[in-house]
Amino acid sequence: MSENVDARGLACPQPVVLTKKALEKADEVFVIVDNETAKQNVSRLADSRGFQVSVEKKGEATYLHLTRKVSGLEKSSVTPATKSDVLLISSNTIGRGDDILGNTLMRSFMHTLTEAETRPSRIIFMNSGVKLVARDSEVIGDLRALEKQGVEILACGTCLGYYNLKEAVEVGRVSNMYDITAALLDADKIISL
Amino acid sequence: METAEYSVVLFYSTSNALQAEKLFKKTGVAIKLIPVPRQLSSDCGICLRFDRPDEPSVKAILEKKQIEIQGIHPI
Repeated sequence: MSENVDARGLACPQPVVLTKKALEKADEVFVIVDNETAKQNVSRLADSRGFQVSVEKKGEATYLHLTRKVSGLEKSSVTPATKSDVLLISSNTIGRGDDILGNTLMRSFMHTLTEAETRPSRIIFMNSGVKLVARDSEVIGDLRALEKQGVEILACGTCLGYYNLKEAVEVGRVSNMYDITAALLDADKIISL
Repeated sequence: METAEYSVVLFYSTSNALQAEKLFKKTGVAIKLIPVPRQLSSDCGICLRFDRPDEPSVKAILEKKQIEIQGIHPI
């Protein structure tokens, strides 16, 4: 049994929501999207649900063919859970008070993080925190270094949209509330700044 | 840049460090605001790191604007 999802013209998180519903019903799902973010989000969702993803681009549209992997070989069942420490940054400053000081502390923190012995597995940026991954941010170099060291950088798409920074992202991946919620709920430890 | 040698300039206050940072940005000296390295200590927790060869221009700019510094150290 297969399902079809035509998510062209739909805004985030609709493509993910519709795909999620389809994945619950079928072992094979065909999804059509028209932008890169939707393609990535749908692919990640399918992957996390144990679906194989194949992608084909035709003109403006991208066709994703999702097929359930043979049971018992699902990613989640073979890969042992690795420790996941999440750093949640929900502001472009550290703490409440003077913003200039708060921003200085954030920059100082990010620099120190690149040299720390233990690093989070993911850093999630929300609300004004997304300003840190976008153009004119003082910590892009540090975040790039962290990314190179294997730290996953996720920025809330809704927040980037709100601050009009969607086109200005310099580092990391644009994410959605599903991925972010899952990352927080699956985390062994969350450090929230 | 990976193998670059750096020095840091230490200040007596955070506001002096921030003031100096603005100044360097305006004059095009590449600096980075970082916490004061553990092996050094300062009244203020942050300092500015720069490429060591830039030391003469760093000094000149700070002197010209009369920003008092606590010292310059190679790191």
